[in-house]
Amino acid sequence: MSVEVAKAPRARRRGRFDTDDRWMVSLVILLVVELLYFNLGISSFWGGGWGGATSFLGESESFLYGSMVALGVMFVIFAGDIDLSVGYMASFAGVMMAEFHIGGMNIWIASVLSVVIAAVIGAVQGLVITYFKLESLLVTLAGGYILNSAAVAWEGPVPPYNFPNSYDSALGTGTLSSAIQIPNQLIIFAVLAVFATLLVHRTRFGRQLVLVGHNRHAAAYAGVRVSLTRIRAFALSATFSAIAGMCLAANYGTARDDLGPVLLLPAITCVVLGGVDIFGGRGRVAGVIIATFIIGWLTPGLLDDGVNDTWTLMAPGILLLAALTIRGVVERGKGVTFRDKLEARFGPTGGAVAAPTAAAPGGGGEQNVP
Amino acid sequence: MSAAGTSSADQLAARQQRTAQVRRFMRRREPPLVIVTLLVFGVTTLLKPGFGASNNVSFMLATAMPLAVLAVGQTVVCLVRGIDLSVAPVLGIAAVSTGFLAQDHGDSVWSMIPLAIGIGIGLGFVNGLFITYARIPPIIATLGTYTVYSGVQQLICNSATVVTLPTQYEAVGIHDFIAPIPWLVIPGIVVTVVMALILRRTKWGRSLYAFGNNADASYRAGIRVNFVQLSAYTVCGTLAGLGGLVYLCKYTSAGYVSGEDISIQLQSIACVLIGGTTLTGGKGGVVGSFIAAIFLTVVLEAVIVLKINFDWENAVVGVLLLAAILVDAYQNRQGASMRYSLGRMFLSRPTARTGATS
Repeated sequence: MSVEVAKAPRARRRGRFDTDDRWMVSLVILLVVELLYFNLGISSFWGGGWGGATSFLGESESFLYGSMVALGVMFVIFAGDIDLSVGYMASFAGVMMAEFHIGGMNIWIASVLSVVIAAVIGAVQGLVITYFKLESLLVTLAGGYILNSAAVAWEGPVPPYNFPNSYDSALGTGTLSSAIQIPNQLIIFAVLAVFATLLVHRTRFGRQLVLVGHNRHAAAYAGVRVSLTRIRAFALSATFSAIAGMCLAANYGTARDDLGPVLLLPAITCVVLGGVDIFGGRGRVAGVIIATFIIGWLTPGLLDDGVNDTWTLMAPGILLLAALTIRGVVERGKGVTFRDKLEARFGPTGGAVAAPTAAAPGGGGEQNVP
Repeated sequence: MSAAGTSSADQLAARQQRTAQVRRFMRRREPPLVIVTLLVFGVTTLLKPGFGASNNVSFMLATAMPLAVLAVGQTVVCLVRGIDLSVAPVLGIAAVSTGFLAQDHGDSVWSMIPLAIGIGIGLGFVNGLFITYARIPPIIATLGTYTVYSGVQQLICNSATVVTLPTQYEAVGIHDFIAPIPWLVIPGIVVTVVMALILRRTKWGRSLYAFGNNADASYRAGIRVNFVQLSAYTVCGTLAGLGGLVYLCKYTSAGYVSGEDISIQLQSIACVLIGGTTLTGGKGGVVGSFIAAIFLTVVLEAVIVLKINFDWENAVVGVLLLAAILVDAYQNRQGASMRYSLGRMFLSRPTARTGATS
């Protein structure tokens, strides 16, 4: 199918205000409107200014580990794959860290070791996917199952708890200082976000990553080491998930197998709402960062607003479907003239314009490199 | 040429043909799957005689049925290169809706079938609309509807659960039809057989395979691609709704966790893949998924009975899933490499090619 070809005209052009820019502006407006509405309308959401556990900045502790997972899975989605094991990985890394700590290891060394081991596991998943030419969806689904079981078996009947206070404070519930009450997690997330942005948009690896997602064949012919790039993406995803797992464990003061898996669906929601193409090769890191805050603050905001908690749970899904539907409707008309449509329907086959009308959006299976 | 020579040549040809048939048959996924299921069953029975008892077989078959009905629906979607991540809440909504009606008004199982199916049709149709007309990728669209449907399920439950059902439901869910075969197997088999026939024998069924193989070509061949996709998701939703009723009969309770509590969502996808249907569309069938559901249930029960630490339940599913896709990849690669090496052999001497085909 020539779906890949069809994307080419939409590729980003420097110096023009393209659809990606428009999407970014929409996201910023959405975030600003959301914050204004909640902060001006609900005093409990504002919570007495910048900082403090009850303010909306302090509230960000309830979703920032999810945002880290979203940043991780974003790399994999950029490369045209998907990683369903991120949530399980976060839990597994937390349990691993806690068990190392119980075994007598310094908790910081245990954390670093767990993150490294998680990265290796992620790389192994990537290796299995690229070497055997399997679908990433399936391998990471199976890998997630196995990691989940490993976490359940390792933690035993009583999940490990009781970490040092300094650890809980540094990665979990602490703030920068008693005067400036910015949550530590926000700072960790900011560092990760800057790192991710620079990595994707300012390095050779990042450009190769996006190219691999955009067109794997072209990347291979351009001399990019496609498999290595994809494996690196999986390792990055696992690393970010493991860091999120550390924050999760510190935040709750315990490491459990069931804390992580719920992060998966919101993470993918954030990435897609952030404007990253689910088939890879297109998007901005900044969009994902903004989207994580939009979705993150939506839940506490709506709860403070007195909305039924069931509706609050549904809100991200509704937002996602509405946003993508609107985007699809707006973009489909862009740059396609009536003549293009006629040519697409009656013209010779194989044209770049012919694809959008003919090809349905079906799965990403056509991207397998022979 | 003498008569004896001809007959021996005929015999040889017939034998070769039979061998080829057997080989083709074994390369399908279903026969090896049945054999492996029986092996697991046999070995476990040898180790723990209670495993093979009639009531345990009946229990396992009944446990497999909600999963089997869902897996059949999931197969239809996978054939058109899709995936439905919202089957669990669709099952849940159907289960709680029918459950509350039955609890409050004592309606019979039969009168609930249209309701369960109707709920499934509606929710599946919505999935299909998002995917077909809003052009949202299936995994994202059903992810979104998953969240929304879960919320709807909670709204319907309103923190109540279905606990007392008319005895008829329990009778259907637990009692046997003939000794080791529970009543619940009947809807599973009916759904599987009907869907298998529809997929293989009707124009609509074949257009699913065509679309899954090559959407562009099937569009140009005059297949109504939008309708095909929309109907595939509707059918999947329908079967998920029916699965909700099967679930209700099997567990005789339903609440806001129904569907989530038995991780049926991911297991249904696992069944599809173990059953030989690929996620890339256009290959596979529902019979494999049905057998895979029984296989998965038997393996998980065997894990419990053999007192392997039950923590590893999910790992078992994961390893089976990996094994299934590795076998797929191996078979594909084997076929390709064979063709490749034949091509290399005969490309250099074109005359040899005609000799090879005779």
